[in-house]
Amino acid sequence: MCCKHTVQNSILTPMREYVTDDIIYALATPWAQSALAVIRVSGEGCKALLATRFSRPKSLKEAGNATLVHGYLQDEAGKKIDEVVAAVYTEGHGYTLEEALEFSCHGSLAVIKEILSLFSQLGMRSAEGGEFTFRAFLHGRLDLTQAEAVQELVVSQSERSRALALGRLEGSLKERISSLKQQLMQIMAAVEVQLDYAEDELDEFVFPRTQLVDLIAQLHHLSETYQVGKLYKSGARIVLAGSTNAGKSSLFNLLLKQERSIVSPINGTTRDYIEADLSIEGIPIRLYDTAGLRESSDSVEREGIKRTERLIGQADLVVFLVDSTLMGHVPEEDERTLVVYNKSDLAKPPKGKLAISAQSGEGVDRLLHEISTRLTSGFSVSADELLIIESERQYQLLNASEEALGRALTLVDEDIPLDITAVELGEALDNLGQLTGEVTPSDILETIFSGFCVGK
Amino acid sequence: MDYDAIVVGGGHAGIEASLALSRIGFKTLLITQNLDAIGRLSCNPAIGGLSKGNIVREVDALGGEMAHLIDHSMIQYRILNRRRGPAVQAPRAQADKFTYARLAKETLESEHNLSLFMDTVVDFLLDPTGKRLTGVITERQHTISANVVVLTTGTFMEGKIFIGEYDAPNGRLDEPSAIGLGTNLRKKGFPVGRLKTGTPARVRKSSLDFDKMEVQDGEELMMPFSFDYDSINRPQVPCYITWTNEKTHAIIRDNIHRSPLYGGKIVGTGPRYCPSIEDKVVRFPDRNRHQIFVEPEGIGTEEMYLNGISSSLPEDVQWDFVHSIEGLEHAQIMRPAYAVEYDFINPQALYPSLESKLVENLFIAGQTNGTSGYEEAACQGLMAGINAAQKLKGEPPLVLSRNEAYTGVLIDDLVTMGTKEPYRMFTSRAEYRLNLRHDSCDQRLTEKGFRVGLQSEESLSRLRQKLEKMETVKDLLRQRKLADKSAIQALKMPEVTMASLQESIPELSGFEEPIKYQVELDVKYEGYINRQERQINRFEKLESLHISQDFDYDALDGLSTEGKEKLKLVRPISVGQASRISGVRNSDIALLIVHLDRGGHRER
Repeated sequence: MCCKHTVQNSILTPMREYVTDDIIYALATPWAQSALAVIRVSGEGCKALLATRFSRPKSLKEAGNATLVHGYLQDEAGKKIDEVVAAVYTEGHGYTLEEALEFSCHGSLAVIKEILSLFSQLGMRSAEGGEFTFRAFLHGRLDLTQAEAVQELVVSQSERSRALALGRLEGSLKERISSLKQQLMQIMAAVEVQLDYAEDELDEFVFPRTQLVDLIAQLHHLSETYQVGKLYKSGARIVLAGSTNAGKSSLFNLLLKQERSIVSPINGTTRDYIEADLSIEGIPIRLYDTAGLRESSDSVEREGIKRTERLIGQADLVVFLVDSTLMGHVPEEDERTLVVYNKSDLAKPPKGKLAISAQSGEGVDRLLHEISTRLTSGFSVSADELLIIESERQYQLLNASEEALGRALTLVDEDIPLDITAVELGEALDNLGQLTGEVTPSDILETIFSGFCVGK
Repeated sequence: MDYDAIVVGGGHAGIEASLALSRIGFKTLLITQNLDAIGRLSCNPAIGGLSKGNIVREVDALGGEMAHLIDHSMIQYRILNRRRGPAVQAPRAQADKFTYARLAKETLESEHNLSLFMDTVVDFLLDPTGKRLTGVITERQHTISANVVVLTTGTFMEGKIFIGEYDAPNGRLDEPSAIGLGTNLRKKGFPVGRLKTGTPARVRKSSLDFDKMEVQDGEELMMPFSFDYDSINRPQVPCYITWTNEKTHAIIRDNIHRSPLYGGKIVGTGPRYCPSIEDKVVRFPDRNRHQIFVEPEGIGTEEMYLNGISSSLPEDVQWDFVHSIEGLEHAQIMRPAYAVEYDFINPQALYPSLESKLVENLFIAGQTNGTSGYEEAACQGLMAGINAAQKLKGEPPLVLSRNEAYTGVLIDDLVTMGTKEPYRMFTSRAEYRLNLRHDSCDQRLTEKGFRVGLQSEESLSRLRQKLEKMETVKDLLRQRKLADKSAIQALKMPEVTMASLQESIPELSGFEEPIKYQVELDVKYEGYINRQERQINRFEKLESLHISQDFDYDALDGLSTEGKEKLKLVRPISVGQASRISGVRNSDIALLIVHLDRGGHRER
């Protein structure tokens, strides 16, 4: 039951290489042209060191915690590199709990490059991936779930995913798991007291079966959110398919709101496929515009069609466009296939069917919503769920916990002795403990003593 | 030097420590305040119970004495929690307290290397550095030198008993406490604290109405605690069960202000798992009755022990509430219930060998370390004795792991976490209790006892024979077919038992019951034991990362302030132990692993 050994964990594997007593820096915003960029520095002595390259050295050196200092970063000769605002954190504060600075500078690549090389010349070290998080973890700023959430926050691709990661940081997942852990500890205490005291010293024992069944359901619900989390994090592949000239490329362009594929009225213009990233109701989507499906003697086109078929095989969702003016082949709708009637402005599509006009944009909003509904439809939890599991590790631990409890329930129903049932409960608790923190035997005893009248 | 070793105290820890030292071959002196009080069962007249019965058998497997003493003094034998599974069931026996104590003294007296002396130790002799112990000073001003000392003071160090408004400097009722030693230890910088425990009243058998009570008989067949012989046969007497009632509770509630516990006279912390009746009434107001076991204190005495209603209320209140209980209406109280408060030394100041970190050559065991219970005391006394002997021989200490003995769990808990209340063993304190079954203690420990010079060649060969027989039974089961599968596979099913197999495999009847029982459990629990084995492998990885005793935690940057403080206090011997210290964070452990991995302080 002792599960403080969670240190053999993914977070700790790379850290063996980390040194913790120097100053590290890194660009905290993406390496891209933008209005603003943030460069982060952490380590004892960083204020004094950077003051030597700052237009207002005294102000920077003496700045208190959580203050902003405006000024210019300049090179050794005193030439101004950029106008910046430095956010100052003193030791014990800020993300890493070390003395740290965050420079907001202009987001041109040239400026960023120049600042980073200045920092390097000062003898600071470019941080390795996750190193700020590691320092935060090392200084006790974060527990494992929080540390993982930080990593996810950094790599999250979409707005929704970012919001979820932020929620986790504030500890809502931690709270939920703590509550599950509490419930499990109550069940364990009820069992352990039977094992710690002789049968004639205790009241008649009835296994808290209802509580166990309820707990399994709660665990199942939480671990199911992983599917949702995965969708918002990794996204889905959607393939636009349909006969030639059904308007796939028009829809593709409309969705991307940019002229990317060649749209022309000649059949088979799009001979290969084109892909692009977009976001539909918060879900990151990779959209493929494909060659039209039809018999062709053109070998290049035939190859294109072959690739289309392969893409369709791998897609999470296929949007099959039907030309309402021609109709022709209409595939069966299924989980993975969404049939959409295009050119609703030219011909009336069948009643009750999803219809759009890629030309006028009519019905596209409904299509987008339908796509999002389809992608999330297999889940027993709704995408509006506030708490969503995104990390594979968390998912596996929750799953392992749920499975162990399932086995415990079977043992209870088969009337197997409690000492074995207790092993399964212990395993479930161990897995939960690995998520947010240990459960020690004394915690269990504490629960026993506070809830049961025991002792001769 | 006058002696190789001195053992202070003749209770359950002192008995094991002095026997271990003298049997291993060292000239040993046991000093006790009262030669007639050796091996007394101060509280309930029983040995064993859940996890405690396992400890008795661990002590036996290592070469200790407790199992022999109870085997030859028991007056009732029971196996507890049969229905809850073999991993948690354990033997418990009522003892004839006179026979038990007499046998204990006889056993000590029969050791030629062991001397006994009646006096009270009041201080230690230290060498000029002040860091090494060289002997003891007694109340009657004897100065006795020795290379090692084992301290087992029980409840006697500055002991004080309470009965309502009455208090007295006693360790047991009317037995003077050892005054001076606790104060001198405080002066020398030992972390001394106060704990409290209690005992119920003893009543006269002929004044009780057993017709109003439930009878509790022992098992038909007595089984020995010791692995040295297969059977014992002694006459058994019954225990009885009765209950408190609303009237009892009302009397207690009305007089609660007269309890020294609630009046603030007692400062020591009492055990939550074994509360006094006034605690139970206050903490569980919804319960309308509490169970009482009425247990004989021995043959040839009328005293009966009222298990479940220990108290420190005044005697007139005890008189009233005892008489409100069914069957006890006319009970003659022969000894009153009382609470006792005593000095203990924070066991975090000990190494896992039970040697003091403050003063070399001083070993401390038993209630002095904050535990409660005869069995808990005995196993510590034995380990302190063994390790004091190892020290005298210049050999490394014997430290039992959490996955091989409850004794290992107990000592690791004490030295790692300390204790705030009298520490009692529970099966739930052990992470790997499936491996700590009482019937297999010999397989885990006999050889260790042999290697330190305490177990005999004979015990070792007995164990080998047992293992061979178990293998023979397993082979037999592997060879025989039952329907479509081998008998050993069939045995894994819940409905198949060794007894049912015996019908189709008559050869099985040629093997002793304990052999067949163990094979049955091994087979039935194999899957779970294997799963636990994987956890144990992970556990052992951290245990095997040794930290040297002079490790400089101050030089390790990044440790949390609290973690650093706790690590310096406990000085864990491994990263595994460090990870169990409360206040040491995961990040501290991570840092330690990183640091140890880089070389520097790794020891294998």
